[in-house]
Amino acid sequence: MTDWHVDDEALRRWVDQTDSMADGASVEQHLLACATCRSRANRESQVLDLDAVWARTREAIEAPPVGVFERALRGLGLAAPEARLVAVSRAFRSGWVGAVAATLVFATLAAAFGHTRGLWLFLAVAPIVPCVAVAFSYDARVDPALEPELVTPYSAVRLILLRSVTVLAVALPAVILFGWLIPGIEPFAWLLPGLGFTTVVLAASTWTTSLRAATVVSLLWLGLVSVLAAGPYSPDSMLRSEWQTGFFVLAALSCVMFMVRRHHLRELRPWR
Amino acid sequence: MDGEPTDAALLHAVSTRDVGALHELYRRHAGWLAIRLSRRCNDHDLVEDAIGDTFLAAWQKPAGFRGDGEVAAWLWGIAIRRLVSRMRHRTGVVVQPADAVVVPAAEDQVLLSVEYGDMGAALAKLSPEMRAVIQAVVLDGLTAKEAAQLLHVPVSNVKTRLYRAKAQLRAVLAEGVS
Repeated sequence: MTDWHVDDEALRRWVDQTDSMADGASVEQHLLACATCRSRANRESQVLDLDAVWARTREAIEAPPVGVFERALRGLGLAAPEARLVAVSRAFRSGWVGAVAATLVFATLAAAFGHTRGLWLFLAVAPIVPCVAVAFSYDARVDPALEPELVTPYSAVRLILLRSVTVLAVALPAVILFGWLIPGIEPFAWLLPGLGFTTVVLAASTWTTSLRAATVVSLLWLGLVSVLAAGPYSPDSMLRSEWQTGFFVLAALSCVMFMVRRHHLRELRPWR
Repeated sequence: MDGEPTDAALLHAVSTRDVGALHELYRRHAGWLAIRLSRRCNDHDLVEDAIGDTFLAAWQKPAGFRGDGEVAAWLWGIAIRRLVSRMRHRTGVVVQPADAVVVPAAEDQVLLSVEYGDMGAALAKLSPEMRAVIQAVVLDGLTAKEAAQLLHVPVSNVKTRLYRAKAQLRAVLAEGVS
């Protein structure tokens, strides 16, 4: 370090960019080695909002580490912002997943020990779990993370499908897993009704809120199951191919409906 | 130094996850880095982003500073490269002309002209394109590839300009000495 310092005039001209390249280079070389002149230059620096930059930098430093679920989504090839968008959904918070699991455990236990009556209960609960899960992941009142997403320029259909697929990826295996634990019931029997109800909810969300749609679908299904359970039917009747075909047609029709009416998605356009 | 920790000591504290130490480094260096970057790029947002990137990088890899030389120079090396990489993704950003005033004031010129002949005048005789290349490669220490990204020209173009600029500088300086 020397006693030589950039004179005030040269420093000011460097800051104002009114000096020559040679003079600027001279100042810059000196700054690299002289803390005194650096702090003098810092005092001149008023072009940028450096406090705001520091606030952002600090935020980035102190941001919580990326969660396991989000990392897994990225591992599956999802871009980082989309992984965040999906992962912030309420449907993936531990409390919510716990509630779904508890419901299924309850239904499974009932089926395992309650024989026919319990089997009907499982039959009633299992198929509506996926559609309720999807509905909850779109209701702005339920999911506070959804609100900022709604005002971001992002394809609503893409967001909906992205989330539905991931919600189903969580909810369906759970239903299938618990279905497996029940003796005498084909676990995949509930796959098609579950998918069918989900697509119905998505299609209905072009008219009304998805939560309302899911409630109506669930009530209709519960009503149907209780009527069937009261009548001379066995739970196995649901496995017959005409029922399964019916659910498949329902899913396909709802898919078509959703794509046709995708511009009318109501709750993703709350300002309309 | 009057009892204050050196930059290197602060950087060591940063490696022990001390945010306060990083803030002190930021306080010491962000200002002049911002001015120097602004001389290379007229887009304030990009310069701000580059500054943020720089200190984020210093936080993530403080060990990148090997302990020799100045922390200031190390930070500048990161900053100018972060700026280059930010600019690569943008089009329409204008690189600042390397020289606003072609003929520098006489008293400032003394800084450079003593030992190496009249370097200031020699640089002033270069075309703006050549000065930009000299600034990026010789003064800022960028590679030809990085300079090409900064200036939005092909790499081969940078190399040619650099070669010609050096030849011209040599000729002008030799003329001045003889």
